[in-house]
Amino acid sequence: MLTYALVAGVLFGLYFSLVGMGLNLVFGVMRIVNLAHGDVLMLGAFVALGVVALAGIDPLFAVPLAFMVFLLVGMLLYWVLVPRLQGSANPEMLSIILFFGLSQVVEAITTIFAGTSERSIQSRLLGTVFSTIKVQLFGGKPETGPIRILGQGFPAPWVIAAGTSLVAIGLVYVYLYRTRLGTLTRAVMSRRDEALASGIDVDRVSAAAFGIGLGLAAVAGVFAPFMFGSITPAFGADATVTSFAIVVLGSLGNPLGTALGGVVYGVCYMLVQTYLSSWADLLPYVLLILILLLRPSGLLGRRVRVA
Amino acid sequence: MLRTVGVALVAGLTFAAPALAADAPAEIKIGTLYASSGRYASISMPVHYGLKLWVEQKNAEGGVYVKAFDKKIPIKLVAYDDQSNTATAATLYNQLITQDKVDLLVADSGSVLTAPAVAIARDHKMFLFDQTGTGASFFSKDNPYIALMADPVSTIWPKPVADFVSHDGPGLGIKKVAILYATNEFTGTQANAFRKFVKESGAPIEIVYDQGVPTETTNYTVIINNIANTNPDAVIHFGYAPNDIAFLRNVQDVGANFKMLFSIYAGLETELLEKNVGEKGLEHVFTYVPPQELKYSVNFGMNMDEYKAAWDKKYPDGKVEFGFNSVAGYTTALVIEKTLSVATSLDQLELRKATFSLSNQLQTLDGTFALDEMGGQIGELTPLGQLELGDHGHLKFISIYPHETATGKPVYPRP
Repeated sequence: MLTYALVAGVLFGLYFSLVGMGLNLVFGVMRIVNLAHGDVLMLGAFVALGVVALAGIDPLFAVPLAFMVFLLVGMLLYWVLVPRLQGSANPEMLSIILFFGLSQVVEAITTIFAGTSERSIQSRLLGTVFSTIKVQLFGGKPETGPIRILGQGFPAPWVIAAGTSLVAIGLVYVYLYRTRLGTLTRAVMSRRDEALASGIDVDRVSAAAFGIGLGLAAVAGVFAPFMFGSITPAFGADATVTSFAIVVLGSLGNPLGTALGGVVYGVCYMLVQTYLSSWADLLPYVLLILILLLRPSGLLGRRVRVA
Repeated sequence: MLRTVGVALVAGLTFAAPALAADAPAEIKIGTLYASSGRYASISMPVHYGLKLWVEQKNAEGGVYVKAFDKKIPIKLVAYDDQSNTATAATLYNQLITQDKVDLLVADSGSVLTAPAVAIARDHKMFLFDQTGTGASFFSKDNPYIALMADPVSTIWPKPVADFVSHDGPGLGIKKVAILYATNEFTGTQANAFRKFVKESGAPIEIVYDQGVPTETTNYTVIINNIANTNPDAVIHFGYAPNDIAFLRNVQDVGANFKMLFSIYAGLETELLEKNVGEKGLEHVFTYVPPQELKYSVNFGMNMDEYKAAWDKKYPDGKVEFGFNSVAGYTTALVIEKTLSVATSLDQLELRKATFSLSNQLQTLDGTFALDEMGGQIGELTPLGQLELGDHGHLKFISIYPHETATGKPVYPRP
């Protein structure tokens, strides 16, 4: 039971790293709290539902589509909203109110168009592209069903979602530490005013980060119907709360700290579900309180200062 | 003398009749809540749509007959969105009573959103038309202000499942049972009742797993693995529709093959579950057989086929599924209609008396309406059934227990 819970926790946690990473990137660069983060996840899930319903193809194809769409939406949204926010006396507080309102609007509009019922995608559809390639290369029949790790069966969508998260974490690392735009992004994250004074086009850097943040959230959303059983337009609020707990756990303002925060959250969640199942949903709040009491800067808090 | 009395009587009647009509309200206000979003939207909206369908139907006919005023009066439905939030629901129930001053108070769907209404209605001495809140704690001898309209009370609802496991189970090889439930009034009560029935039966059944999970639980992978480690012969899952969706999907995803699998909403909201879990995931699942399958003969209101046709005409977009809850909303409406047709005033205790007078008399598309002395619904029972794939790949219900209503034998163990 313990081994199963630990492996499931790592897989689940890696996915949650992806869920929280976009939120943290946006906060790290702009110091604004995107309370509509969960709603972008929900919209990402609807992109996947649309891809399956309209094209009948592997929902994995929704990953690049969702990322590109929300990268553009994010950049557009940045230019419409964020510079005005940054110009206000208290941008952090106003951002909470603004994005809360945006979250409500997104949920309401989605409800009007999609209704309130739960929606999902059959698990066997995820990853069919891999099995098709495998069959064409090596022959045999397409494989469905659980994936065996350490002799135990885990849902294939969990493994695919965790793998995608790892790739996304790697790409975010490359972006932040191996590209010029990433270096500029870290400079803005470190001291926005100094970055501005040294001639960095802060708005351009921030718009890119905002777009990437939303894009990552949408990619996480593609896997939401598989990780959470089903989704509804109201799914966003809970996802935002969990994301926030993970971000604070890893380190607010440090996107790569979110990767650690997600895994810690996932493992803790699965252990609580195994041994104290009735209390499992309290976990995000308990972790949030504990980390704020014991290590307010998060598990990787120190890195924020040197980013 | 006689002439004087006669004149007085005629004069009295002449003036009394308009006076009665003048006292009649322009509309009967029915106050209710619904959840257009959140965890309970999928069980709330069908109930609300069922009630709304009836209101529009009756208003098109000039209103509903109200015996207290001996005339048809149009209905005004005052409905607010509680967004599946119990705190919001509590505020809105108060608003319906104190600000809108509704004549009749109807709870939102499900025990979680009904719970705030029970205490508020009692405090304000308003009779609560409880649509589908089946929690046992709602009903007590010292609370006359509630009656359950459309679902059996949770203390008796799981009896067919427990009886099947206790009576037929040992013969089939069921000796070890796992119980998993969402910790809320509805499913928690069902789990308690099931456990009690099994233990009291004296059957050689061992409960090897018995755990509650938060109602908001959305993944069960680890829990399923824990259950599988206890090698149960039957797994009984009591959860709301989103719980059932996540649970049944995870059972498929991890490749667990439990010999018997019971879930509530596989039967109650089959259309919704089928969309999310798929036919294969629901094949051989044990569940409650809903009234849509039983097609009761009625002595009041539309029968099931007529109601389905009216529903499809009114809500052609399919955004809200037709199922057990849509029937429950319409059933509540029928009880309200019948209550108004026999109540001699709109006094809340008179409404209660009128509603209770319908017990064992009213037969709707949901079955026989029958109340116990505390207002718990003891009619409208749902037999235990099993979902099987038909010839064209569509799911069909096989009624299993009680034996008198059985239409087939159980498939056990699940292949």
